[in-house]
Amino acid sequence: MGTNDHETIRAILSGDKEAYGALVVRHSRSLFRVAYRITGNEADAEDVVQESFLRGYRKLESFESRSNFGTWIYRIAVRCALDRVNGRRGRDDLQVAGDSDPEEGNVQVADPAAGPDRLLMSGEIAAMQQAAMQSLTATERTAFVLRHMEDRTTEEIGAALGIQPNAAKQAVYRAVHKLRQRLAQFRVNA
Amino acid sequence: MEYLEHLNEEELVGQAYGEGAVGAEQHLEACGECERAFAELRRDLAEMETVEPPARDDRYGEEVWARISGSLPAYERHRWSWLPSSLWKGLSYAAACLLLVAGAFYAGRLWEIGRKPPVTANNPVKTTPQSKQPIVVVLLGDHLDRSERLLVELKHADPDSAEMVSPLRDEARTLLAANRICRKDAAQVDDPALATALDRLDHVLSELANQPGSLDKAEITRLQDEMNADGLLFEVRVLRARIPGREGPGKTHSNGGTI
Repeated sequence: MGTNDHETIRAILSGDKEAYGALVVRHSRSLFRVAYRITGNEADAEDVVQESFLRGYRKLESFESRSNFGTWIYRIAVRCALDRVNGRRGRDDLQVAGDSDPEEGNVQVADPAAGPDRLLMSGEIAAMQQAAMQSLTATERTAFVLRHMEDRTTEEIGAALGIQPNAAKQAVYRAVHKLRQRLAQFRVNA
Repeated sequence: MEYLEHLNEEELVGQAYGEGAVGAEQHLEACGECERAFAELRRDLAEMETVEPPARDDRYGEEVWARISGSLPAYERHRWSWLPSSLWKGLSYAAACLLLVAGAFYAGRLWEIGRKPPVTANNPVKTTPQSKQPIVVVLLGDHLDRSERLLVELKHADPDSAEMVSPLRDEARTLLAANRICRKDAAQVDDPALATALDRLDHVLSELANQPGSLDKAEITRLQDEMNADGLLFEVRVLRARIPGREGPGKTHSNGGTI
């Protein structure tokens, strides 16, 4: 795969723009998966995927031939997703907890002030976890997603976030600690 | 069994993700309290479900490409674009360094040429004994100065004091090589008086330089007698006086002759 990606990149830099399509097709689903897990919603994840490939195309001349393109574009996607989450938190007080209801035209919003009994009544462990994840900082959430769901090492997490491996390890620990505390509260109230 | 140092939550988290500290696993096997805490942590982590994204089929990548391809400008085709960009950078730096070195070398050559008169068919450069003379004069003058000083010190040396004579031997060794060069040049310029004096000087310098161990009283006395008998010191002083710019015994002037 690596050799094919490098040959494709050489073709792109030689003027064959359409060759980039092969890279997009090859790596889109993995980028969507990590973008969704970090941002928590489908629309943001789609935007992150597109933005990641656009950024990657603009930076293609700086891509080191000895690197792996998949790893490289993955890191760009993580950074894009993190930027998206940080930007979203700065704008909104309310967070979107799930997909909108197409029949009613309403968007279901998770009220952070809502008690755990409301979430438990929905019977969705994932929603409970989602609420708990909202209590994390963007970096903690991203580090946790990369560690717990994407099974990345501390070094890979650090490289993706642009921080030292020890800082990445600390972020993972803080995320786990906070999540355990929130989940413990839910258990008590259940 | 109780342990003073239990694993804290951070260490347990590291252990749960396969990046535990050294000895953590052994501690968990032996410490019931930590083992229970670790089990609780693993239960909580297991409850933290992996979020599965909405499904995307095989055509998803093409759909993404269709959305973004219109906004991407094509890269301009470059010659030798088959080379990696990192290699391009390296080659560029190497070429710049090479250009710098070549430029400095060429500038140095031009400067050297500018200092020398051009050699042409109408103005050939000839090497003659006359053109060599300034170099010989400077070398001979300095050599005679130093030789005179050595002979004066030898003349007044105390034969009973071997320590005073030892530095003379070191100086004689240094002067011996220069004396032989001067002898060779003296033969070329056909100066019998100079050649004779330098021959005698060579003998004294050799005797002084090649003595093994320290000079004894008898040797010092013998050298002094030889020197006095030949009038060597006087000859050296006369020769020194013949060199332009050098006046009389005991005075040394640096000859400003060209080299």
